[in-house]
Amino acid sequence: MRKPNVAVIYFPGNNCEEESLKAVLASGMDGKIVRWNERKGIERYDGFVIPGGWAYEDRIRAGVIAAKDPVFDIVKKEAENGKPVLGICNGAQALVECGMIPGLKKKVEMALAPNKNPFISGYYCTWVFIKVNEKKGRCAFNGFLEKNEIIPIPIAHGEGRFITVDKELINKLIKNQQIIFRYSTKDGKIEDKFPTNPNGAVYNIAAICNKKGNVLAMMPHPERASFIRQLPDIDLKNKSAGKILEMENSAPARNIFYSMKEYTEEEIL
Amino acid sequence: MGGVDADLVDIKGMPDKSLQEFLRKNAISLSLFEARRVAELIGRNPTITELYIFNTQWSEHSSYKSSRSVLKELLPTQAPNVILGPSEDSGIVELGFIDGERYGVVVSHESHNHPSQVVPYEGAATGVGGDIRDVLCMGAKVIALADPLRFGNPYGKNKNKVKYIANEVINGIAGYGDAVGIPNICGDVYFNDSFDENCLVNVVCLGIVKEKDIIHSYAPKNAEGYDIVIVGKATDNSGFGGAAFASLILDEKERESNRGAVQVPDPFLKNVLIRASYAVFEEARKQGIILGFKDMGAGGIMCSTSELCSSSNFGADIDLSKVNVSMKDLPPYIIANSETQERFTWICPKEFTKTLLKIYNEDFELPSISLGAGAFVIGKVTKQQDYILRHENKVVCNVPIKDVTQGIRYEREKKAAKRNFKEPNLREPSDFNKILLSVLKHPNVASKAKAYKHYDTSVMGNAVIETGYADAGVIKAVDNSSFGIALKTDCNPRYCRIDSYWGAVNAVAESMRNVAAVGAIPSALTDCLNYGNPEKPEAFYDFYEGVRGIADAAKNLHYKGSTYPVPVVSGNVSFYNESSSGKSVDPSPIIACIGILKDYSKAITMQLKKENSNLFLVGERREELGGSVYYEINGEIGSIVPIIDFEKERNMIYAIIDAINAGLILSCHDISDGGLATTISEMILGGDADGEIGAKINLDFTNIRNDKALFSESSGFAFEVEDIHLEKLKALFKFYKINLIQLGKTDKNRLTITKNNKKIIDLPILKLKEAWTSGFVEALE
Repeated sequence: MRKPNVAVIYFPGNNCEEESLKAVLASGMDGKIVRWNERKGIERYDGFVIPGGWAYEDRIRAGVIAAKDPVFDIVKKEAENGKPVLGICNGAQALVECGMIPGLKKKVEMALAPNKNPFISGYYCTWVFIKVNEKKGRCAFNGFLEKNEIIPIPIAHGEGRFITVDKELINKLIKNQQIIFRYSTKDGKIEDKFPTNPNGAVYNIAAICNKKGNVLAMMPHPERASFIRQLPDIDLKNKSAGKILEMENSAPARNIFYSMKEYTEEEIL
Repeated sequence: MGGVDADLVDIKGMPDKSLQEFLRKNAISLSLFEARRVAELIGRNPTITELYIFNTQWSEHSSYKSSRSVLKELLPTQAPNVILGPSEDSGIVELGFIDGERYGVVVSHESHNHPSQVVPYEGAATGVGGDIRDVLCMGAKVIALADPLRFGNPYGKNKNKVKYIANEVINGIAGYGDAVGIPNICGDVYFNDSFDENCLVNVVCLGIVKEKDIIHSYAPKNAEGYDIVIVGKATDNSGFGGAAFASLILDEKERESNRGAVQVPDPFLKNVLIRASYAVFEEARKQGIILGFKDMGAGGIMCSTSELCSSSNFGADIDLSKVNVSMKDLPPYIIANSETQERFTWICPKEFTKTLLKIYNEDFELPSISLGAGAFVIGKVTKQQDYILRHENKVVCNVPIKDVTQGIRYEREKKAAKRNFKEPNLREPSDFNKILLSVLKHPNVASKAKAYKHYDTSVMGNAVIETGYADAGVIKAVDNSSFGIALKTDCNPRYCRIDSYWGAVNAVAESMRNVAAVGAIPSALTDCLNYGNPEKPEAFYDFYEGVRGIADAAKNLHYKGSTYPVPVVSGNVSFYNESSSGKSVDPSPIIACIGILKDYSKAITMQLKKENSNLFLVGERREELGGSVYYEINGEIGSIVPIIDFEKERNMIYAIIDAINAGLILSCHDISDGGLATTISEMILGGDADGEIGAKINLDFTNIRNDKALFSESSGFAFEVEDIHLEKLKALFKFYKINLIQLGKTDKNRLTITKNNKKIIDLPILKLKEAWTSGFVEALE
């Protein structure tokens, strides 16, 4: 069987396309960085990654302009056919802005608001922990992740606070099992306070999938936590000190890409 | 001498007074002597465009007119690992060979001090942007940034302004670096009142390139008839006179009029430009095309085009009417000299021009990314070595190109200033807990997380050790290889205030210790020399002594395994860092050291790893606390700064590198600001201040007074070793003739320090954390 082939879409201003592609390749998929204006034929890819950065300079609001780019019409259509779409950071913002996430109504239901934390206002880059909130295989991106598993991962954003004006929406998302990752302590405790919740997101939400489970918007960066080498000063990394081959081994967040691969092989190819 | 069609300025005929008035009115900072020298050099009165060209080219910033002879006389710039010394936009040092290919680390180190003082956000942001261009234009992939910063006293008489500038500078660095997507991997921040009216904002940028793929900042061989192509943002009047502005003393009253000299950053356009340029590199390599490529920085189109052509003994014929502009009716001298950001110049063989234009204008759609942006052919490389600028069918500049680029030199007078520093007579304190907490809380010592967590430290996914976790940042250099690159910047301004020479020596030694502390071999240095007014003999003396200090340290702390110096491959000189009151900043030769690890998996951090392991010290504690944080919290400065014994320092650094690479050391931290007690506290806390392992050490190894033993900043390292490695470790340090001092053991969650079995410090980790994590945050509030 051929490998899933993934398009990592570069909108002008994105800056995580290369490491996103590396994580895709490391998980055993094929892939390519595709520019926003190379959309002809993009529907032939088996899945899509919308990487982080500042697409279209985040003019107006993060992700808004990218969400209106013609390439998104194609991505939307392919997602309706079941193809996996992973939006990371700025990509997540675009998925929310185009209504694909949470995708319950045909409109924008949520927003990613400016971070709220007592330490740094605006852009904040740090390591956090997220906890798998739904059962293994709930979506295309947690087939390799057990419920309650804890993942070290960095965030790097100024507008990452999931909010909604519809108070019922969060309950619906919980009921629909759409909240895939939540910010937690390293021991898995969910506390709605800084630094555990680094941006003030409602319900400690770090990632939401659509109802079908083939589209995921996540604010933290799994592509920056996919190799042991990339981890901060924690035991998981320190026990590999001095062992170069282990340093290139898979770190927990790479399971998100392994999951995408397995899903694509089973559902798309 | 070629003819011109534009009006000439009657420099020769004007009496001194009217010439002075003319220069002032036109914001030309040439001296009378220099203005007259222009007419003499070109053999006639200049056009106004020509006069502005010389104004920029003969500014201190562009010509190094005061510094060049000193740099040439003293600095060691050559060694076998140098691929390119400080002659083009960046220097290049060998990383190593991968699959038979020699790779280089490209490095540039710039200052943007004056712009940052006037408009801090934009000043700092464009500083980052300019340094990135310097590295990119060598054909390199840009992989890391670092920002050494110096601000005024946040508790002094200028505190509100100081805090405003500090916060805005940090925001500007974040705003630019985060958006282009290059990780910030280290930096340092010092506060003191000498920077109250003149902050220092330096930037270091790293790139990576295969030696055979280097693109030079000069026209290739046989370039006659090649196209001169500019690419990037549409030219406007921003930054007109920026280079000349960088060479002026800041006058608070002229702040408003100086604003126009600061450029406007556009990281969004830069993000796309970088990627488009990578595509050009790739295509040119595929087709075997040799190009010239240069950043447009100081002096804009004029400086960039003239230097590209002049360096290869060509001339240039340029039509300024072909330049993409975003403002109507710009006069030719502004188009030629404006420092509009996000622009480059290519020297391109005709057969490749179409491809080059297509990549920028169509594949990456620059014109739709930013209004008027794009790549445009504006002229040709000529055999005749003249520099010709045309505008609306008139020749507005026509002078020998070497006259434009050769610059001007001065031999400045130097004289040692009277330095009346004395050692204080401090009484030995009774409560060392309190003193340690004050030292940890001092903004120069406290955790800088509030700054660097505003920067993107993990983008590109190449991080091995991110900012704050160790003495140096470490990144993986190249895919499919084990090479790592370590980087750290250093310079303690208070040492330099007391002693310009030893301050500089310490800056070099500390930067080397910092990269050694992660296990990397110090392989090259860069220096950004931030000083006062070179026309003042005392300031020039400090500059000279600083360069001498750097040179001595670089020559004597040999590149490991040789007797070659650790070469200085890139640098920058920033003079006139003083305020209108005439007080110059503390001499600040800010050093960056590039360290190389053959195997990045060996790199270690500063945080203690295991309970009940052994803690060692190398580097005796000496009574040399001049410039120390301990003296500062006592309101003193002292007179005896740490002295570096080159042979000992060298061996200490080598021994640490060998021990780390042999896997004998679990964690390591150099001793600097705040002394041994601070070093151990920081090892307990770790980068995220969440450490849970404490330490129990004693000072029985030394006879000096407890306060001095705890807080002396004499060079050294503290490190953690497991029992099983003790024997090997001892043999290794014996080989290097370095005295290994056992300090004590790692412990449960406290720091305890004893002398002759009497506790002198006893603190829970939480207290250390409170002090260390609050000092910098409060300074910025």
